[in-house]
Amino acid sequence: MFKRKQLSQLLDWLKTDKNVKENITHWEIIEGKEADYVPMPDDLHPELKKALEKRGITQLYSHQKEAYTYGMNGEHFTAVTPTASGKTLCYNLPVLQTILEDDTARALYLFPTKALSYDQKNELNELIDAAGISVNSYTYDGDTPVNIRQKIRKAGHIVITNPDMLHSGILPHHTKWVSLFENLKFVIIDELHTYRGVFGSHTANVLRRLKRICEFYGSRPVFICTSATIANPKELAEALTGENMLLIDKNGAPAGKKHFIFYNPPVVNRQLNIRRSPVLEVRKLAGEFLKNKIQTIIFARTRVRVEVILTYLQELIKDKIGEKKIRGYRGGYLPKERREIEKGLRNGDIYGVVSTNALELGVDIGSLQVCIMTGYPGTVASAWQQAGRAGRRQGEAAVIYVAGTSPLDQYVIRHPEYFFKQSPEVARINPDNLLILVDHIKCAAYELPFQKGEMFGGMDVDDVLDFLVDQKVLTLSGNKFHWMSDSFPAHNISLRSASRENVVIIDQTEAPDVRVIGEMDTFSAMTLLHEEAIYLHQGTQYQVEELDWEEKKAYVREVNVDYYTDANLAVQLKVLEIDKEKETESVVTGFGEVSVQAMATIFKKIKFETHENIGSGPIHLPEQILHTSSCWISLKKELKEFPEKRLEEALTGVTHALKNIVPMFVMSDPNDVLTAPQVKAVHNDLPTIFLYDRYPGGVGLSEQIYESITAILRETKEHITGCPCEAGCPSCVGPDVRSDTGKADAVRLLEYFLSGW
Amino acid sequence: MTVRGDQMKLKNKLKIYESYLAGKNAPVAEKSTSSVEIPNRDEWEKRQVTPYILDGQYCLIREKRYPISMKRGKYRFADFLDAVSLWQNTGVAHPLSARDYSPYDLFFFDTETTGLSGGTGNIIFLLGYAYFERDQVVVKQHLLPEPGGEVPLYDSFLRSVDYTTLVTYNGRAFDWPQVKTRHTLIREHVPKLPSFGHFDLLHAARRLWKHRLESVKLSIVEKEILGIERHDDLPGHLVPMVYFDFVDTKNMEGILKVLEHNEEDVLSLIILYTHITDQLLGRAGGQTAEEKLSCGRWYASLKEGEMAVRFLEDAVRELEGRELWQGMFELANVYKKQNRLEKSIPLWQETVDSGRGNVKIQSCIELAKYFEHKQKDYRRAYNICLIAVDECSRIKKLRGNVPDLLFADINKRMSRLERKMEKF
Repeated sequence: MFKRKQLSQLLDWLKTDKNVKENITHWEIIEGKEADYVPMPDDLHPELKKALEKRGITQLYSHQKEAYTYGMNGEHFTAVTPTASGKTLCYNLPVLQTILEDDTARALYLFPTKALSYDQKNELNELIDAAGISVNSYTYDGDTPVNIRQKIRKAGHIVITNPDMLHSGILPHHTKWVSLFENLKFVIIDELHTYRGVFGSHTANVLRRLKRICEFYGSRPVFICTSATIANPKELAEALTGENMLLIDKNGAPAGKKHFIFYNPPVVNRQLNIRRSPVLEVRKLAGEFLKNKIQTIIFARTRVRVEVILTYLQELIKDKIGEKKIRGYRGGYLPKERREIEKGLRNGDIYGVVSTNALELGVDIGSLQVCIMTGYPGTVASAWQQAGRAGRRQGEAAVIYVAGTSPLDQYVIRHPEYFFKQSPEVARINPDNLLILVDHIKCAAYELPFQKGEMFGGMDVDDVLDFLVDQKVLTLSGNKFHWMSDSFPAHNISLRSASRENVVIIDQTEAPDVRVIGEMDTFSAMTLLHEEAIYLHQGTQYQVEELDWEEKKAYVREVNVDYYTDANLAVQLKVLEIDKEKETESVVTGFGEVSVQAMATIFKKIKFETHENIGSGPIHLPEQILHTSSCWISLKKELKEFPEKRLEEALTGVTHALKNIVPMFVMSDPNDVLTAPQVKAVHNDLPTIFLYDRYPGGVGLSEQIYESITAILRETKEHITGCPCEAGCPSCVGPDVRSDTGKADAVRLLEYFLSGW
Repeated sequence: MTVRGDQMKLKNKLKIYESYLAGKNAPVAEKSTSSVEIPNRDEWEKRQVTPYILDGQYCLIREKRYPISMKRGKYRFADFLDAVSLWQNTGVAHPLSARDYSPYDLFFFDTETTGLSGGTGNIIFLLGYAYFERDQVVVKQHLLPEPGGEVPLYDSFLRSVDYTTLVTYNGRAFDWPQVKTRHTLIREHVPKLPSFGHFDLLHAARRLWKHRLESVKLSIVEKEILGIERHDDLPGHLVPMVYFDFVDTKNMEGILKVLEHNEEDVLSLIILYTHITDQLLGRAGGQTAEEKLSCGRWYASLKEGEMAVRFLEDAVRELEGRELWQGMFELANVYKKQNRLEKSIPLWQETVDSGRGNVKIQSCIELAKYFEHKQKDYRRAYNICLIAVDECSRIKKLRGNVPDLLFADINKRMSRLERKMEKF
């Protein structure tokens, strides 16, 4: 007879079962803590107080009170809020209180995705209904029916939208939103940490435009940001909003005891350092929890993996608890389906959910007991958000991180301290990227004419305006620059993608019904969308069937294969301008503008898990030139002991490892930072490694690399030496280092790089 | 002339002469004292264009006058005066009715803009309108010489028109929201913009001629319906470019073309309004049966039963085929609303017998209702539903789908009738 086990018994099983315990590399216990409560503010509106009481809230957590006080005092602030810490009250309280005190007051909520907007609207409206107050809150986005748009513009106290809609649907039509802009008291930016790189740099400019319009109508809103844990929340918020921020990072919410378990699948091929698939390990672990009806969430990085794990688990436990009790959750599910799953999780009808990072952001599913991560989600911030899904206010919870074979996964499993120390991840944006800036100055000029000498984001932009006059987009009349074109600039500018000339990605899986699933800048398209490339889109694999370079269209079809493609790029790199430089006896590090001439040559098909090369082919595409910012590190010392061949290999190995370590320090997606090792750099004739921003003009990533270069190099060395392989493997120095000396040479090179700082 | 018209007129006049009454100089008088530099000033004045200066900025105002006896297409301008007086003599309620207005109240209005996007960067650079003054038609156009001069543009415009009685072509959706947008941007400097009532002729043109014309663009309606030929007209899509060039070079040649183009538009609106009035009041000679049908349906939707009957009865005498069935069905419904079911039934019956398509199904439903609820003849009602079912399956074969709502209605009706037939 099957007897259900409790979580504590299962934790004992993890500790004692021979096949499990030897794979556990680290077990951290985070003790629970009591709530830090403070009384409700005295001035809180009685209806609001009553509504909170109805929902069982009779006092506030200390950070909520702090937020309320700052908000009511009109001070901009950023709150760092872990999952389930009552984050929404940090902004909903001051906003609702202000509207209750002054019915004309307005607030604008920005969420990075539409799904989150709907969630927040529902939560907000529940609170409003409970309070029985007449506050109108609406979502306003592309799906909003035309017939209620006018009502929202005039009478919406709280308008919930996303930056894209603000950019192209609200700001260019600001005269239809007079009552909002005249009375805008608060701008809420949730999930601050997602505003990084290109998207963050664009959004910072959208907010500059917003503030400019507010000034025209005579309002000065307070900005409130909430963020997951990153190294620099305050700095990011200040760069994004252009305002000085107060920081709230003492969290007063209670937490139960949490076990954080690092699990590395066993090695199956010692020489190549190949481990068992994490999917199989997750099946084993998750199955055990689910059989015992312990609510478990399993994260996987791709949609395909979600489906695979889901099928395994449903098969495994269908006799015990029924397969409907475990559900998948990912982008592409219908909203109704999602709501149903969320509800099932909240009320306990569903025991298990396998999800992509779609459940990482603030969707409310209550708190589960166990969270299993299949592979590292890419950033510490995401990892913490996923981990936050497990953990109740009372009782124990467990988070199990099952490492994959990627270098970053393996790095993290060996450095658990990265999870538990202050996060080293810096989120960077570069609002002054010239290409982005000029785009938004166009939009801003469309919205309101520029005065000569007017500042934009604290910058004198007359030169840009003169340039746009030459381009016949603006005209100078009196001392004002006016928009003088029949186009609508915001329509041609996407906040999410890179340069203007993009390759459109067309899915023809269900031809003749084709649909556009995304776009990509031409520079990236060379290596990611060439014919036969495997293109990953939201976790789904597509193969490129045809790339029409003239028309900038890539035709793809959904596939399910066990390999990815990797294209070789022949790169010529020239330093155009050196902005910053620092040096020691043996190395010189620089940061500046570079021109990258690149030509894609061949691509390889590389098998998952083993990283074997299982095929290759040529790429025929014209050469591309990219102007961007870059950080480089050059070796000044002659390395007599290294013949050129070995030096080249060592540079390749270090570059590979560097590329994988960079995301630990600079929040970015794998292809946002590109690398190029050169035995003899054109500008100084020295052996040099370049790390450069993929986005033209740079979005601050390589600048952050320059700032943290010694720490990054140190970790890179640590990573290679700590790798258990003998002479180099795909997890450390990469598949292109093949000689016996390769790994040792890479470490040696890093020692040179690091000496004398 | 009615009382209301008189009041409007006075209010209007007060506005025009406000600056005089307030003891200030007349607006035009500013020109001698101003130091504003106006390129090609003499050239402009030769072409009846004068500057209007305010706070160191200016706009240009062009004025032209035509005798009302002048012919334009099938009409003379003077015919408009008759059209307005026709409305005075009828009790018909219609959104385009000029009852209680004097012909001198209406402003035929059109704008030229730098784009079609409708955002704040889209500038109106020309506000043109025509109105009647004694025995003349006056065309006035306010031109923005540079994007900075919007304050004098709107100030001069708002002081000289009555914006509560504009006649436009798609002004409701385009021109007027655009004016509001521009006004919002400079509202502190110009008179307040009131909410407004107006006659938009686009809707009428759609109703009357959509089936006949490839598009109901004003230029096409003008040519095909009103018999107006334009010579050497500037194509609309070139207008923004010509304006940008004018701002850049101050060269008048191109922009004069735009002024003429806009003038043609506002003058045509007078003729179009006249012609639509004739259509609606049944005064147009040679009105086609389709036009009669459209007028009748329009009146039916406005619940103007008497007018609807007048047009539809006339129309069904001349129509055939699909339009005939449509006309009979409409007419039958109007009779029904007038409690003249005895006149409706043969029309529905005729539509069922000779018609096809949705009107046939709808007529079946009407007849079935009649037999079920009035005659309590369930069997007969049921049989009529069967005809509708047949028609549904015929349509399904033809188009691949059935008219869902109608089909659901019939099914519901039939199951109810079955129950009733069992009971008795």
